[in-house]
Amino acid sequence: MSESLHVKVFRFDPESDVEPNFDVFDVPVFKNMAILDVVMHIQNYMDRSLSFRFSCRIGMCGSCAMYVNGRARLACRTQVSVLKTRNITIMPLPNFPIIRDLVVDMTPFFDKWKAVKPYYMPQPECDEPATVKPDSNEREFIDDMLDCISCGCCYSACSMVATNSDYLGPAALNRAYTLIADKRDAIRVERLKAVDRSYGVWRCHTQFNCAEVCPKDIVPTRSIQNLKQRCVMKKFGIFK
Amino acid sequence: MHAWTWFLQRVSAVVIIIALGLHIAYLHFGTAGEPLTYSHIMSRFKMPLLITFDLLLLIFGLYHALYGVYSVFLDFDSGKKEKFMVLGLLIVTGLGLSVFGVFSLLRTVYSI
Repeated sequence: MSESLHVKVFRFDPESDVEPNFDVFDVPVFKNMAILDVVMHIQNYMDRSLSFRFSCRIGMCGSCAMYVNGRARLACRTQVSVLKTRNITIMPLPNFPIIRDLVVDMTPFFDKWKAVKPYYMPQPECDEPATVKPDSNEREFIDDMLDCISCGCCYSACSMVATNSDYLGPAALNRAYTLIADKRDAIRVERLKAVDRSYGVWRCHTQFNCAEVCPKDIVPTRSIQNLKQRCVMKKFGIFK
Repeated sequence: MHAWTWFLQRVSAVVIIIALGLHIAYLHFGTAGEPLTYSHIMSRFKMPLLITFDLLLLIFGLYHALYGVYSVFLDFDSGKKEKFMVLGLLIVTGLGLSVFGVFSLLRTVYSI
């Protein structure tokens, strides 16, 4: 790899800019450099006004999702070498309002997260601790889906969200599925009603863009398809 | 509404796979050596099993295809009025083609 990267960074300050623009930086490259290292280098040594979010640096918090070379990625988990080019373009996540530079407003995302009541509601008569067999098929499937770190990559890649911002989106529906599939949950039916609407599960047209970009290799489309099956079961009266 | 139409599309997909598979298999293997003449084809159409498969293919194929078209249309996120108009147009088209197809098949069977 060459000694420097040619990095185009999206810049926009709503207080002073009429339109967004791109700034270009030549960033020295080092071994195992991640995109987060690139933007931190720019902020530390080239332009201290560059804004971006990050926290854990190990792919756990989901704060540093950015649109890098045409794809939503976690900046901390994306090594420069995997891009296989010296030219890097970094933009904020699509489908979100922009606050400044690479920082987006996650409010629409978390409003939809809230709409599916993303917390477990125990049944009143449930004896704790509940016994959940780790080798049950249902449990195994939910386990994968629980890895979501709510980074917003899936939401930004979803063309259904892009065409209508009322759509709940892959992350919220995936979260709803993990709870609806959990038989210990007390409000599974209400939760299912909340997603059984035009801009809920039925807006998903199984394009799998969400699965393509998920840094945790979750396939939200599978969760959404399972939710659709449960909606049909509810119509037949066999979803309890 | 969404749940039923989605469920029916899944059912129609299964029916199409089975009916189309049997239809093609029969035409390929069941008619080997048979001369391709008008009278042979007409007599084949009068087989109850074959005509049943053809009717199933027609009805479920049309539903599956038109529901697919509607799903593509939904991607454009048009207004309620446009959705209603396109849905109505597709229903009328589907019903019209179904009636025409069923009539044509039955006319062949009963030589109307």
